[in-house]
Amino acid sequence: MSTAMNFGSKSFQPRPPDKGSFPLDHFGECKRFQEQFMKCLRASKFESALCRHESKAYLECRMERQLMAQEPLEKLGFGDLMDGKADKH
Amino acid sequence: MGGLWRPGWRRVAFCGWGWRPLGPPTGVAERVEQCLRPERSGAGGAERGLRLLGTWRRSSLARDLAVQPARRPKSTNPHARAQEEEWRRRNKTVLTYMAAAAVGMLGASYAAVPLYRLYCQTTGLGGSVAAGHSSDQIENMVPVKDRIIKVTFNADVHASLQWNFRPQQTEIYVVPGETALAFYKAKNPTDKPIIGISTYNVVPFEAGQYFNKIQCFCFEEQRLNPQEEVDMPVFFYIDPEFAEDPRMVNVDLITLSYTFFEAKEGHQLPVPGYN
Repeated sequence: MSTAMNFGSKSFQPRPPDKGSFPLDHFGECKRFQEQFMKCLRASKFESALCRHESKAYLECRMERQLMAQEPLEKLGFGDLMDGKADKH
Repeated sequence: MGGLWRPGWRRVAFCGWGWRPLGPPTGVAERVEQCLRPERSGAGGAERGLRLLGTWRRSSLARDLAVQPARRPKSTNPHARAQEEEWRRRNKTVLTYMAAAAVGMLGASYAAVPLYRLYCQTTGLGGSVAAGHSSDQIENMVPVKDRIIKVTFNADVHASLQWNFRPQQTEIYVVPGETALAFYKAKNPTDKPIIGISTYNVVPFEAGQYFNKIQCFCFEEQRLNPQEEVDMPVFFYIDPEFAEDPRMVNVDLITLSYTFFEAKEGHQLPVPGYN
């Protein structure tokens, strides 16, 4: 929340997330995927592009356990990964 | 009403002249008294003069009552009087125009509110929502691989909230057009459940309009049980149009800052909605 009281200066307007809020993972069901993702991030010096498989796996875990609304992965920006996976198999 | 006493004054003056042949003037007061007496008898010349005076008086009075009974021209010269009429008419026109302008300004100030909002939406000033946001856009967007942006994470709690809230990575390198995942961690070290609600901030402000969160943990109440620790993900992307904005040429660092507040019963935090 921006508390800048300057009259006339631009202030930040927070926007709600497109797909709402993540339910909390109280039971740690996807903690393993999260740990893998963090390990990958640290290994790649925090380059997000190199850890996209792990982030996709984490979101799939969430969707399976009703911690996230089911959504085709292309709509989440993983379209290129889907093709890559098809090629590998 | 000046019109009425004037003829009277003139009548007295003319009367003074008119009555002169009657006899030597004894005094001003007597003369006036003689004049003010109704003219039933008297010399023909004087009466004629008075009658002329009377008709003249009546016509001028009628004219004054017809045009402007309350005002009289400052001069008796007909040319000057016409000029004054002209000035008065022009003044009235000018006053009408000024009144119309004032009303127009008032209307414009009322119209400015929706117009400004429209302007902000088209130019995206102040981080307002840009039109054309949808999940189809995410599907079709192409990452701009040559523009690497560092996103740093910041976590804050309100003083009354006893959570340990921190990001799990200090920074992450993303490119516009590619979705990215980041994590925060929150722990409730107390012995009672606490409900928190969060909001976020993006610096620099102008980059905030390109920072789109697909899903996060903000603006909804999150309940943490005693001694519970959870991972809180943020799934976001930076709009590929960020790379084409000339104002963003020098922006390489974006800071995402989350702040948690305690959600009390019946306490309404200002949650942003769609305008």
